[in-house]
Amino acid sequence: MLIELKNVTKIYNQRQANEVIALKGIDLKIDDNSITCLRGASGSGKSTILAIIGCVFQPTTGRVSIAGKQLTRLPDRFLTLHRRQYIGFIFQNLNILPSLTVRDNITLPLVPLGVTPAEMHKKATPLMEKFSIDHRQNFPASQISGGELQRVAIARALINDPPLILADEPTAHLDSRLSEEFMRFMMDLKSAGKTIIITSHDPLVTEHPDVDRVIDIKDGRIYVT
Amino acid sequence: MRNGLTQHINILDYALSSLWRRRLKNISVLVVFAWVIFLVASFQLLTQALTETALLALRSAPEITVQKMSAGRQVEIPVNYSRRLTGILGVKEIVPRVWGYYFDEVSGANYTVMGIDPGRMPLLDRLNLTLEEGGVYDPMSRGKTVVGRSVQRIMEEKGSALLSLFRPDLSQASFEITGVFKPETDILTNDLIVLNIDDARDLFAIPSKMATDFCVYVANQSEIATIAKKIADKLPGSRVLTRSQMNRTYQVVFSWRSGFASVCLLTALTAFVILAWDKASGLSPEEKREISILKILGWETADVLAVRFWEGILVSGLAFLLGCTLAYGHVFFFNASMFKPVLIGWSVISPELHLAPGFRVDRFLLIFCLSVLPYLAATVIPAWRSASVPADSALSGM
Repeated sequence: MLIELKNVTKIYNQRQANEVIALKGIDLKIDDNSITCLRGASGSGKSTILAIIGCVFQPTTGRVSIAGKQLTRLPDRFLTLHRRQYIGFIFQNLNILPSLTVRDNITLPLVPLGVTPAEMHKKATPLMEKFSIDHRQNFPASQISGGELQRVAIARALINDPPLILADEPTAHLDSRLSEEFMRFMMDLKSAGKTIIITSHDPLVTEHPDVDRVIDIKDGRIYVT
Repeated sequence: MRNGLTQHINILDYALSSLWRRRLKNISVLVVFAWVIFLVASFQLLTQALTETALLALRSAPEITVQKMSAGRQVEIPVNYSRRLTGILGVKEIVPRVWGYYFDEVSGANYTVMGIDPGRMPLLDRLNLTLEEGGVYDPMSRGKTVVGRSVQRIMEEKGSALLSLFRPDLSQASFEITGVFKPETDILTNDLIVLNIDDARDLFAIPSKMATDFCVYVANQSEIATIAKKIADKLPGSRVLTRSQMNRTYQVVFSWRSGFASVCLLTALTAFVILAWDKASGLSPEEKREISILKILGWETADVLAVRFWEGILVSGLAFLLGCTLAYGHVFFFNASMFKPVLIGWSVISPELHLAPGFRVDRFLLIFCLSVLPYLAATVIPAWRSASVPADSALSGM
């Protein structure tokens, strides 16, 4: 699956007093089955690129395509269905719902799909076992550790078996041990044929030997040194 | 189809867990809502039950009552006027009746005194069935009376074996109580004293050739209106009342009071719905974040809206069931003790209510339409706006 951005710009609050040009003519190609890191300071535009690839935002101008499929100027419903099928998100703050159990958090993407509870359990169990959180499946997410939360977030991103994983500053609130553990998980996913894009300015991530490519983003542009 | 059904079950399950997660707020809403529905439903059920009880008791009333009017007021009618009516086809019996009101200064109670000739009453057997104790003698002897339960109670409080009433010239007339009406007829008989017609004339100093009104009994029920018209033609200046008109009068009496109370309660219900709208219109940061996360995870706007809809249905539906069940118990098992004074009024001898449990779908449907539907509209419509929260809100650094 080739991800391609062509001359993508993103302007927030266009034609208003607080207008912000977040991206200025981004041209980018990301190969299939790779780990790509978008590196840059806060406000550089790397999260905006991730959101556009993830069909959360539409670019102001330019084109986005994934596996040859044009994704710009599509209605929100199509983008939602595309996200549901092709993309798994890992948020910076993990965004696990604390009052739901671990299992309910992981199966949240399956709820609107009409999947029976038995099938949900069948999909979730191998993931929970793989990430060693099956013994916590009935615990509310508010009662588990930070490392376990991270694994719940990864499991949730994988529940629909999406080919593309997007992780936004995933190690921002983690210690080095957990950050290394996270990168090990990413390597496993790459071995399983996934395409992974991570935004980070954490050297543990950007300088990891298994990261295939690091793209520097500065002031909304790709910065070539 | 299986997928669609499973999807809705999943969403319903999520809605239930969402309600449970915010249980303190939702239980408060449920309690207040159920209370308001309880009040409205109690009035509706009480009105229905009172009206039905009154109509049941009126079944033994004469088909037509004829009264003489003068200067817009009822006056005594000569007994020989009945001869003008005997020729009307379909009239079975014309029975003169003497009745009036008696104020007991000692107890402060106002009695209804009715003098009848039981020998001429076509429904004497039915009258006996309304008595809890004793019987109506055939014919009712002079010096004997059948009374309502409150009258009996006052007599017992006085410790008197005889019912003593005073004539206009302040001489005393005493009567032996030979029968008491059943509790089920309280609504009509609670303050009633039934005497021999001649005793009633004597008590009120009414000449023997006069009566208060005529009870006209008809052979064919479907001819009542026709016969009533003929009576009105034969006795100009008279007031001719059919039983159905009396039924409607009772319905109106209870209905306007119930309506007045319901309007006041509807104000409370409307205020509640406005509050619900206001609450549903605003989203807490936590709720916005949750919706944004769901959208990124692949939930459509329609899915989020479905959750809100089910939340509304569950809360309002449960409140409706709870409120109506409590209202049913309050009216039929606790005799509507909270609202009796509003509908019955205040009196020294107000009746105890013995209402037969009843269930009318249209009443509950009305309450449902006044409570659940507005609440759903008040919560689901603003929820549309909340369901459109952009997915990017959950992403930081934007």
